[in-house]
Amino acid sequence: MTTAASKRVLDEYAAIRASLPAGVVSPERRQEAVQALAACGLPSTRDENWRYTNLRPLERARFAPVAVSPGSATDGTAASATPARLDGFARYTFVDGVFAPELSSPAELAGLTVCSLRRTTQDSSDHSGSGSATVFQLPRALPALSSLPEARLALLNDAFATDTAAIHVAGAAAQTARVELVFIALASADTGSIYPRVQVSLDPAGRLVLVERHVSAGAATHFINSSVNVDVGRGAHLTHYRLQRAGARATWVDTLSAVLAADARYGLLAVNTGGLSARSTTHVQMAGPGAELTLSVAALGDRQQVQDNFALVEHIAPRARTEQTFRGIASGRARVAFNGKIVVREGAAGTDSRQSLRGLLSGPEAEIDVRPQLEIYTDEVRCSHGATAGKLDDNMLFYLLSRGLSPEVAQRLLKWAFLEDVVAKIEIPELRRQIEHDLAGQMADAASWKELL
Amino acid sequence: MLKIENLHVKVDGKEILKGLTLAVPTGEVHAVMGPNGSGKSTLANVLAGRPGYEITAGSVTFQGRDLLALAPEERAREGVFLGFQYPVEIPGVNNVYLLKAAVNAARKHRGLDEVDAFEFLTLVREKMRLMSMEESMLSRGVNEGFSGGEKKRNEVLQMLVLEPRLAILDETDSGLDIDALKVVANGVNTLRSPERSLVLVTHYQRLLDYIVPDHVHVLVKGRIARSGDKSLALELERRGYDWVTGEAA
Repeated sequence: MTTAASKRVLDEYAAIRASLPAGVVSPERRQEAVQALAACGLPSTRDENWRYTNLRPLERARFAPVAVSPGSATDGTAASATPARLDGFARYTFVDGVFAPELSSPAELAGLTVCSLRRTTQDSSDHSGSGSATVFQLPRALPALSSLPEARLALLNDAFATDTAAIHVAGAAAQTARVELVFIALASADTGSIYPRVQVSLDPAGRLVLVERHVSAGAATHFINSSVNVDVGRGAHLTHYRLQRAGARATWVDTLSAVLAADARYGLLAVNTGGLSARSTTHVQMAGPGAELTLSVAALGDRQQVQDNFALVEHIAPRARTEQTFRGIASGRARVAFNGKIVVREGAAGTDSRQSLRGLLSGPEAEIDVRPQLEIYTDEVRCSHGATAGKLDDNMLFYLLSRGLSPEVAQRLLKWAFLEDVVAKIEIPELRRQIEHDLAGQMADAASWKELL
Repeated sequence: MLKIENLHVKVDGKEILKGLTLAVPTGEVHAVMGPNGSGKSTLANVLAGRPGYEITAGSVTFQGRDLLALAPEERAREGVFLGFQYPVEIPGVNNVYLLKAAVNAARKHRGLDEVDAFEFLTLVREKMRLMSMEESMLSRGVNEGFSGGEKKRNEVLQMLVLEPRLAILDETDSGLDIDALKVVANGVNTLRSPERSLVLVTHYQRLLDYIVPDHVHVLVKGRIARSGDKSLALELERRGYDWVTGEAA
């Protein structure tokens, strides 16, 4: 990527640094991030793990965050984009990267703290005495800035972040905490970037189900750069659903970094259907013995969409287990990629890692790239991986036609079935229905499809 | 019901059916027997419209219409059913969804409303009992993890629910033990009616003990080499296919 863009990052940062909220990311860390980025540069398609991404939007991007307009959350546009509520979930909504209390429905639960770092730190510093402000202390410090070349775009988020959804679950509680984060993009890309930011930490034995949604209101182009840090303590369980449904003209880049302690369990399920150019980077460190990760990703691309997914799972501690499932469908002229790298470090004996990556081509001009990468530096591991990219099975198709289904319905049904390996893992029936509905909407142009649901 | 005349079919450039002529009147059950490689499955697949078969000559009319001009799904909606020799597994497509979609596709074609969900399930359950199938199979993927016998039963179940005018059963008996064979035959027999025709494609006479055909045809090297009543099947069983293949050569 051009040094011009890197220079722009420096210039834009210098121009607005004073206005960035110090309670969200400290000025020192912001500075450090900008410098790190200047040193390594923005990614380019010459970088091995960026070759499937559409990086052109970075050349034109305005990196400074969009200005927060006070009424933006209440003028109705954002509200119209909010998805249906999920029973039993506390909801926290962020509009253009800043907490919008008007669109949120918090809930009190012993052991659970959720807050906007922008608000909390403002409230505690101005002593407004409203009484509602919880002085929030991060239980753990943010992890050091990632030096991972694939996680580079998170440095931009570190530098420019406008708010953080901070979630903390104290140890064993009677109830599993349920939290939904909704990030709504409103502002157009020519006014700046949008920086959703999440920090989740579970103390030992904590339980949390987290639903994280990214949607757009209106049809503007957005430049969304989200960053999520996850810390799952010893024996804690986190189930995390991530639904990326940014607008059809949005550029969406995303970096998730997670660290799993001993016997921690992390179920991460992502459904990526939105954006014109989307790139999702996931980096999970199996840092404690016996940790378990289930990483499931479904991605749909149509028209000119690019859906690029990169996942790096590092097995550091022994006896950890990873199960990785990817199902991607590329239609039209879309490109859908999943690059799944598993590294088993020395000392990670007893690692059990399974990877099943499958892509489906649904159009003569579509592109699927599935790429398993395995690096093993120890003995006594069990690693299996399968990667396929292909078209719909002719035998299956003919079977359905021979039962009277039209070719269009038969194809949709088979695409549906293809995604089922991921969709079936959604354990919240209501959420599953919503996602099925979205997927159906994405794949269907005829009403006949919905009869099948 | 079905009239095949001088049908020539090539697969991968090789001629498999070489002038096959066969008429199946309404209300009759015909068995098409023949040794491996005689073209039995080709015939079944061509009738259902599977791609990959090149028809070089001849004609097939179904209820007076040119069957070969119809797309596979149109044939199905007109009432042609193929029971597959090797039913494919489709994980993720629910059995009951498929059944319902199939029934509704045919109803729509006939200008009828969609089937009532409750009545439909009641009907399906009744037919499942007839086929000795566990109800849990309904909510599973199509043929997913089914044994060979279960797959064949599922084919017959679909046929019972769809009530085709012409059913072609391609080696529905293969791989079945005697108990499963009786269940399948019983299911097929309930569908016999003066308005319906059945074509049983089989290698062995065994099935015909349970589904007694009106006519038996022996297919050899892509042509009907001999036709007769059910006693022809018994004679074949006794004398082996060499008897007819020798004659045909």
